[in-house]
Amino acid sequence: MAQSGKGKLNYRCPSCFMRDLDIDMFYDKDKKEFHCIRCQYVGTEEDVLEKNELVRFRYKDAMKRFTKFDFD
Amino acid sequence: MDKFIVNIIHRPEMVPEYAEKVTGHGKEEDIGRKELLTESLDIFKTQQSIAHKNGLKTTIQMTYASLFNDEAVALAKEDHEKYGDEIALSLLGLPCEEFREKYKTKDFCIWMFSMEDKKSIVDDVFGKFKDRFGFYPESTGSYYLDADLVNYIKEKYPSVKCAVATCWEEGPKAYHTCNNSWYTFMDGGPWAPWIPSKQNVHAPAANEEEDSGIVAIPHLSRDLIACYDGNGSNFGTHPQNVLRSMCYDSKTWEYPYMYNLIDQFRALAKYNNGYAYNMMFVGPGWMNKMGRWEAPYELLLKSYEDGMAYYGQLKKEGKLDDMTMAEFADYFRANRRLTEPECALWRDILYGSDKQLFWYCDPYMRVCANMDQGGAIVDLRPYAAKLYWPVGIGTKHVTDASYPFLIQEKYRAGYFTHYAGEGTVRSAKLVHNGEEVDLCLCRTKAHFSQEGNTRILTLDPVDIEFYDLTVKLQTKLYFEEGSSNIKIERNILSMSDPNAEVEINEYMVACYGTTEYSEDMTGITLSVTDGNNTEKIDYAYKCREAQMPGATEAVAVVPQIETKVSLSCEKKDAVGYIREGYAFSPMFTLGYTTKLKDKEVFATWLNLAKAN
Repeated sequence: MAQSGKGKLNYRCPSCFMRDLDIDMFYDKDKKEFHCIRCQYVGTEEDVLEKNELVRFRYKDAMKRFTKFDFD
Repeated sequence: MDKFIVNIIHRPEMVPEYAEKVTGHGKEEDIGRKELLTESLDIFKTQQSIAHKNGLKTTIQMTYASLFNDEAVALAKEDHEKYGDEIALSLLGLPCEEFREKYKTKDFCIWMFSMEDKKSIVDDVFGKFKDRFGFYPESTGSYYLDADLVNYIKEKYPSVKCAVATCWEEGPKAYHTCNNSWYTFMDGGPWAPWIPSKQNVHAPAANEEEDSGIVAIPHLSRDLIACYDGNGSNFGTHPQNVLRSMCYDSKTWEYPYMYNLIDQFRALAKYNNGYAYNMMFVGPGWMNKMGRWEAPYELLLKSYEDGMAYYGQLKKEGKLDDMTMAEFADYFRANRRLTEPECALWRDILYGSDKQLFWYCDPYMRVCANMDQGGAIVDLRPYAAKLYWPVGIGTKHVTDASYPFLIQEKYRAGYFTHYAGEGTVRSAKLVHNGEEVDLCLCRTKAHFSQEGNTRILTLDPVDIEFYDLTVKLQTKLYFEEGSSNIKIERNILSMSDPNAEVEINEYMVACYGTTEYSEDMTGITLSVTDGNNTEKIDYAYKCREAQMPGATEAVAVVPQIETKVSLSCEKKDAVGYIREGYAFSPMFTLGYTTKLKDKEVFATWLNLAKAN
């Protein structure tokens, strides 16, 4: 098995991202999957993109435009 | 009329911090690679052109590496002539072949070098700048500049009047986010421009004698809720940081949060006599042609264009003044008193919690009160100590440039602990018939007002429900300019039984530190006094306590950070107390208890001073 490298985009581990860790993942071209060298996450590009949507759950107001910043 | 000022800063960084690692993956390190240099300069040109297209002037912070590049120097001169951009000098961007050859190191953060090297590098870089431009710069900066370094620069190069000098709440959280590999520890500083003291850059100067002679600006304007809890490098006026947080729509590439962030900073004019500030400073590594993590180059570029377009739009609408750093320093000096506090009543604009924090900063303290915890003080930095804290190789703090805390709810638990011990917080408990309620559990909102030199935070009343009694209580916090104290008032607005009495316990649990891990508390002394008698405890982790009816103050002296902190009150029948911690709870507590009836008001003061 050859060494892993970077994919065409440099995805972060979605599982680590959810605990505020930015860890670059590496791509195994034989298995066509990304893997995290810190935790146990393994996934295809499709799975990474899906999980990246999931991590946005905490940003409930990310798409809201505010016009008022106090409670007066 | 409100004045909202923006500083836009670009640096031609010939070897971007991130680009080498990212673009060079799988290749041997070569910081002289021609493609890297060409790409870096192209990014700088792109950034400059986007700003100018939107009618905005910039501060060009030349890096050491760029001073060896004729094209970068020519571009800076051209844009200075054409657009009025300031040509300044950054102490970021040191790495290049010339630097490595001369200094034989891969260090790149100026505050981490030995003092001898700092002086040598500064002289080298300033000298090279003078050679290329014929004058010394008026502005400089890095992610952090320590006091010794600022004092040296100001003495040797008095033309310098402005510097990027800290990055707000960049500390252990940033270190963790970067897999414990990014050593920028600089928590505890101001979030908005200030005049640093000669003793400690984070602590603003209280008078002319303490004035370092420069105006400091923070690296970026950062979200005062999101960056306090989460990764600081995700939530600032740095479009690609916003992408890094992933708080944008991945399909439409929209990011309302970025505009909300800018607008909330604009709204801070309300608390600062009509003045508000923003800073945008994106290093070229963030606009890498290879993309950055999951964001392709096109999105990186779009976000920068959109950010600049928004500032440009605000300028066209007469709602923004773009200034160079040197222009801003002149404005700031002319319009702010040294002791004038910076205030920010900040709301959550991202998570949907409506949570609200109040940040206050003056030459004596930086404070955070949390309205989701009944106005409890959850962060406290005792600037009154003006702690001399040398940083860099050869000092006790090679990388740790943070200003120490007395209270820090994220690093020392705050109200909630895991069923043993206590966390740092300044709050109050109400006790009635064996029931106890902490105001930390009373979520509320605050309103800001100013009377003379006192900033007042008035919280909406909260109901405290006991089994057979409901108490309506209102908290007010008073910050009197130059007083080095905070007055906290609890007003009993009503009781369901007007004849009832409740006990109130005003308390402050504190310790000291700069990181998540506890420090040795040995040497701290606690005392409580009524003016005639004094009870004293020398900290030895023995879980002791002492109390005194009629106490005028309960005091802790923390020699490790040269700080004296006390609680005081004027109510004659209140009981002051001190409490030592133990190994599993390395804290100390200062407090007062007293009985309160309907319509009564109880005031206590939290006082800070330098302990010599």
